[in-house]
Amino acid sequence: MGASLAGGTAAATLREEGFEGRLILVGEEPYVPYERPPLSKEYLRGEVTFDRALVRTADFYAEQEIETRLGVRAVRVEPAERIVELADGERLLFDKALIATGARNRRPAIPSLDLEGVFDLRTVDDADRIRTEALPGRKAVVVGMGFIGSEVAASLRQLGVEVAVVAPGSVPLERVLGEEVGGVLAEIHREHGVEFHFGDSADAFEGSGHVERVVTAAGERIECDFAVIGVGVEPAVELAAGTGIEVDNGIVVDEFCRTSVEGIYAAGDVANHYHPVFERRIRVEHWDNALKQGPAAARNMLGKDEPYEEIHWFWSDQYDTNLQYAGFHTSWDELVVRGSLERRSFVAFYCTEGRVLAAVAVNRGKDLRRSIPLIKARRPVKPAKLRDPDVDLRTLA
Amino acid sequence: MGEFVTVADAAEVGEGELAAFEVGGERIAVANVGGTLHAFDDTCTHLRCSLAEGELEGTVVTCPCHGSQFDVTSGEVLRGPASEPVQSYAARVENEALQVAI
Repeated sequence: MGASLAGGTAAATLREEGFEGRLILVGEEPYVPYERPPLSKEYLRGEVTFDRALVRTADFYAEQEIETRLGVRAVRVEPAERIVELADGERLLFDKALIATGARNRRPAIPSLDLEGVFDLRTVDDADRIRTEALPGRKAVVVGMGFIGSEVAASLRQLGVEVAVVAPGSVPLERVLGEEVGGVLAEIHREHGVEFHFGDSADAFEGSGHVERVVTAAGERIECDFAVIGVGVEPAVELAAGTGIEVDNGIVVDEFCRTSVEGIYAAGDVANHYHPVFERRIRVEHWDNALKQGPAAARNMLGKDEPYEEIHWFWSDQYDTNLQYAGFHTSWDELVVRGSLERRSFVAFYCTEGRVLAAVAVNRGKDLRRSIPLIKARRPVKPAKLRDPDVDLRTLA
Repeated sequence: MGEFVTVADAAEVGEGELAAFEVGGERIAVANVGGTLHAFDDTCTHLRCSLAEGELEGTVVTCPCHGSQFDVTSGEVLRGPASEPVQSYAARVENEALQVAI
């Protein structure tokens, strides 16, 4: 369930691993699985075509005898009868099922959110709608400065759109990356002409039929031709309701992607999974996790008993800046920087009690990659060694 | 395959190292895997980052920007987001000169 990156790669893996039974992929969107990272970046800017984003070609599914039910949502699971019911009434029998329904955008309770020209971004259709508005010289308001807001703001500027941002906090990505690293990104956006309204939020969208301005909590009235809202997502868990499948910030699964109901698994954005390295449950809303956890779930559906313990990793491109993150942290007591924030070439380590929980790199992909074993090792490391550019990070794990 | 042309001193690419050179207007990466040289297009087929600035582990090069992985011996994609292989070329050391045939 979910013709997503996790769902598509899981189906492909089931066949690659020799599963010969009936295999059905159900998706709410009318498309075969595709990758979402380009939607806020190169696809939004019109630099690549949609087929470049496909997880596998459309022919692949027929060739592999993977039946698809696209444009129709799975609405209910009946664990006792082993039945999945689709929105069009079709009932599919299963021996094992994977929930890879992903997440959906949070919709803030704001008046006139349904005005024309007010968008959010999750699907290729959303991206297409924004693209038609994103013409040079037009004015956009971006609400929220998480990864989607940040990337959309950058892409719109690159398309010549004037961008005003309304967001909480004082810098982009403050909640995830903190003030120091977020400050670097704020400067980059300012240099590219983004106008910030931090510490503020959107209170209302106004216009006759089509949005004309955003009114903020601080009372500002920002004129615009269109607006894009990026205020986070929530896991798409509705079909688990009443099934006995445990839900807590997503579908709860163990390190083998197993839900609380035998024979039903979950992977990707929807899965709140137990992570053996961090010794807690985490839910990850990124490409790399979907790409790896889908196949991991598939292998466990076939009885491989392989724990999923990848160190989570993602990237974000904004203008010509490449940001990458690995690990998992929610708080930290020391941020150790190797390189230079000013020169925008650094890797910064989020440490607690001397252990590196996570690292973020700006234009330092190689160092980020070399930090992953260090994060996995969970051993205390001296900050001086993390900082010293002459110390090979690979020797610290 | 084209003629072998000298692009650098062989000593410029140590064991386990990567480097990129301009050859006939193209950016060519060279990987030294246990003393054997492998040449391939330096430009990642995903979003054009320089693979020579990435990480070499065994015969696998990882793009520094988005993590795509290629087999340096064949140019084959081992892991996305890239989906197209990079062109690979013959490379050799001749009289301490690093030569690539493009």
